[in-house]
Amino acid sequence: MKSIRRALKMYRIFAAQELKRMMEYKADFVIGIIGFLLAQVSNLAFLWLIFRQVPDLMGWSINEIVFIYGFSLIPKGIDHLLFDNLWAIGHFIVRKGEFDKYLTRPINTLFHVMVEKFQTEALGELIVGIGLISVTLPQLNVQWYALKIILGIIVIPFAALIYTDVKIATASVAFWAKRSGSVIYMFYMVSDFAKYPATIYNRVVKGIITYIIPFAFTAYFPAVYILRDENPIYCIGMTVVISLALLALGVFVWHKGTRAYESAGS
Amino acid sequence: MIEVENLRKEFKKTIKDPGLRGSVKSLFRPKVEKIVAVNDISFSVPEGEILGFIGPNGAGKSTVIKMLTGILTPTAGKCTINGKNPRENRKNYVKEIGVVFGQRTQLWWDLPLRETYGVLKEIYEVPDDRFKKRMAFLNEVLDLDSFITNPVRTLSLGQRMRADIAASLLHSPKVLFLDEPTIGLDVVVKDNIRNAIEEINRQEHTTVILTTHDLSDIELLSKRIVMIDKGQKVFDGAIADLKTKYGQIRELDFETDCPDPERELDYINRFSLGEDDISFEREGMSVKVRFNSSAVPVSEMVGYTLGKINISDISVKDADIEEIIRRLYSQGVEQ
Amino acid sequence: MKRRLKTYLPFVNAGMQEVATYRVNWIFYMIGNTLTCIVSYFIWKAVYASNGGGSVSGFDMPQMIAYLVLVYLTNTMIASDASYVIGEEVRDGAISMRMLKPVSYNATFLFQEIGNKLFTEFIIAVPLIIAVEIISAVLSGAVQFNILRLLLFLVSVATAYLINFFLNISFGFVAFATKNLWGVNLVKNTIIGFLSGAIIPLSFLPDPLEQVFLLLPFASLNYTPVMIYMGKYTGLTLLYYLGMQIFWMIAFWALSKLLWKVVSRHLSVQGG
Repeated sequence: MKSIRRALKMYRIFAAQELKRMMEYKADFVIGIIGFLLAQVSNLAFLWLIFRQVPDLMGWSINEIVFIYGFSLIPKGIDHLLFDNLWAIGHFIVRKGEFDKYLTRPINTLFHVMVEKFQTEALGELIVGIGLISVTLPQLNVQWYALKIILGIIVIPFAALIYTDVKIATASVAFWAKRSGSVIYMFYMVSDFAKYPATIYNRVVKGIITYIIPFAFTAYFPAVYILRDENPIYCIGMTVVISLALLALGVFVWHKGTRAYESAGS
Repeated sequence: MIEVENLRKEFKKTIKDPGLRGSVKSLFRPKVEKIVAVNDISFSVPEGEILGFIGPNGAGKSTVIKMLTGILTPTAGKCTINGKNPRENRKNYVKEIGVVFGQRTQLWWDLPLRETYGVLKEIYEVPDDRFKKRMAFLNEVLDLDSFITNPVRTLSLGQRMRADIAASLLHSPKVLFLDEPTIGLDVVVKDNIRNAIEEINRQEHTTVILTTHDLSDIELLSKRIVMIDKGQKVFDGAIADLKTKYGQIRELDFETDCPDPERELDYINRFSLGEDDISFEREGMSVKVRFNSSAVPVSEMVGYTLGKINISDISVKDADIEEIIRRLYSQGVEQ
Repeated sequence: MKRRLKTYLPFVNAGMQEVATYRVNWIFYMIGNTLTCIVSYFIWKAVYASNGGGSVSGFDMPQMIAYLVLVYLTNTMIASDASYVIGEEVRDGAISMRMLKPVSYNATFLFQEIGNKLFTEFIIAVPLIIAVEIISAVLSGAVQFNILRLLLFLVSVATAYLINFFLNISFGFVAFATKNLWGVNLVKNTIIGFLSGAIIPLSFLPDPLEQVFLLLPFASLNYTPVMIYMGKYTGLTLLYYLGMQIFWMIAFWALSKLLWKVVSRHLSVQGG
């Protein structure tokens, strides 16, 4: 309990520092958000143009598809907002030997790296995600009950954790390979599949995003529970289980990695 | 306080042949070579000592320091500080040490300096009252007040170094590692930093391990040095011992009106000396001759010189440590 | 000409070595980019399944697959890092080092990047072109390969690369003013991605919009070469769009020269 309190306190301090920094570079902050907003708008325009041609996509209406798309942006945006500094491990922190600093401090290195920065551009994704959900939900015929609302909210941090887990495990590759930006990128891009209903993919792709790099649990499975009342034990329960199991794996690889860390010659 | 036993570190390195062909070849069949950066080094440091840790570039100094600070995992051997091992409980271990890498900073670049100490206070869990006292002490020794509200990126190199040393001492570590703390600083600032290190060592009995290129740092601060070369320890002892062991070098200073004393004296042929045994420096009237006293006894040297040319003001000195080390580095060290 | 080429050869060589050194990274980045392409493939498959397999906005299923692969190929071939690198160099002052060398600034850059590309494009282009042909042959039951169209495509892609290169140089000269190069590049790339037809064929757009987009320089970057390869542009139409590409290439070349003048004057005033 004490360590959680300390962790939150640390996070608050780093976040406050980041906000101060952000205020110094307001224009950059706005540009970043616009960039991510535009990227989403472009994808939505694509969906809109497609639905001018067909009434539904393999039984999914445009509202359902846009809901899933919007839902997928929320965990993605949360991870992006809070834990984006992991990319820096893959890009330069390890290669330039800057990881030395973390190792000389009496605090968990992974935690320290994760909370040190936060990425305000992610607000672009979060705004679009929340916007799309609020626009599509009233038009969808969804059965609402207390459990569903609770589960729908609980699942979000775990879904976000799946993104973080994948980033931790892939960023750790840098401890052996010096840089791992490309590895993180390759795995992170698999999340593109999560934006659409998994039923449009073939068995191989579905298998990969369900069992191997389980991004299907970040949006599709929670969304089908919300939209179509499919088995919550699987759709929500598995999201929680998988995110925690992957976290254990990520932390394990990270700690192996810090032992293999070679710093930078000087 | 610090015990280092049979420490060894190996690195793997991929070798690429030059040119495009080499790049393509290493794409398919990378050649890997094992490099021993540190080979079986042992030493110990008692509490309160300032140890000078020296060696030529690439000798493995940084690698040893990084193993001692828990950054690198040793391939073999171990190091303990206060009985603690960095690999068993890193978080506990690093609470007892402070680290300053002269080429890098641990300060938050964009923030006012004061904020860095606020964050470090949390990281090291320093209680409020102790933090206050500590900042007052560090400010007294390192004179931080004049720039503590400035963003770190605007500090001068000397200010930044002082700030970094303060950051490493905030949690009152028992051991302080300083890697090139005076690099790139001017003489006055160097002096300030040395005084501060000495002051902290005196007041708090902090054990200090110091690596540096500037040998005057070592001569002024530490009584003992450990020297390594090619990954191995080549000397461990008092500076005075280094001088007696390797220091048969003497310096003969005199003034003369002779127009070309070097040709006139012709030491090399007279005493059949090697190139390494002697060096000759002249500035106007004054002349400095450094020579190896095991190749030619001091008395013979002085007698010969006095008899050969017209001389005033002659004196003989021990060579300074810088000279000894320069010779050791350039010749390589035979054990 | 021969002498000039010799001056720039080291830059080509350096570019190629860079790629080889970071080969694994490069492969991973390519795989990552391919994933987006695969997602689009499945969406289109779903579209045609929901549509009963007919043609949509002038594209039938095999054509749409060919379009996806060709767009991906074209994107890789015309890609240019110039805006990012230049932005960085202007900001940290490294650009003045390039100014000191007795070679044209843009040209050193261009040749370095071409070196980079020679390596990557062989690996990518050949198998992808073969794949496109096999897929179309299997799906439509007839071999469609046409060597003339391939050659025209290569000419068009080369022109598109130059347009993109000069566009990026110009953009880089402007973008250094902001600290968030990454953000402005994201904005730029998103806009270009959509307007160039890389996300969806421009023929899917409502008619007036389509006409406007076809006039903009972005269609020349990607849509035109792909349409040429697919045989959708022939005769006078083909000449018209090739001419349009050349027009934009010259326009952006001139713009980059102009901006270079402004920036170098600015730099010499500031003393680098």
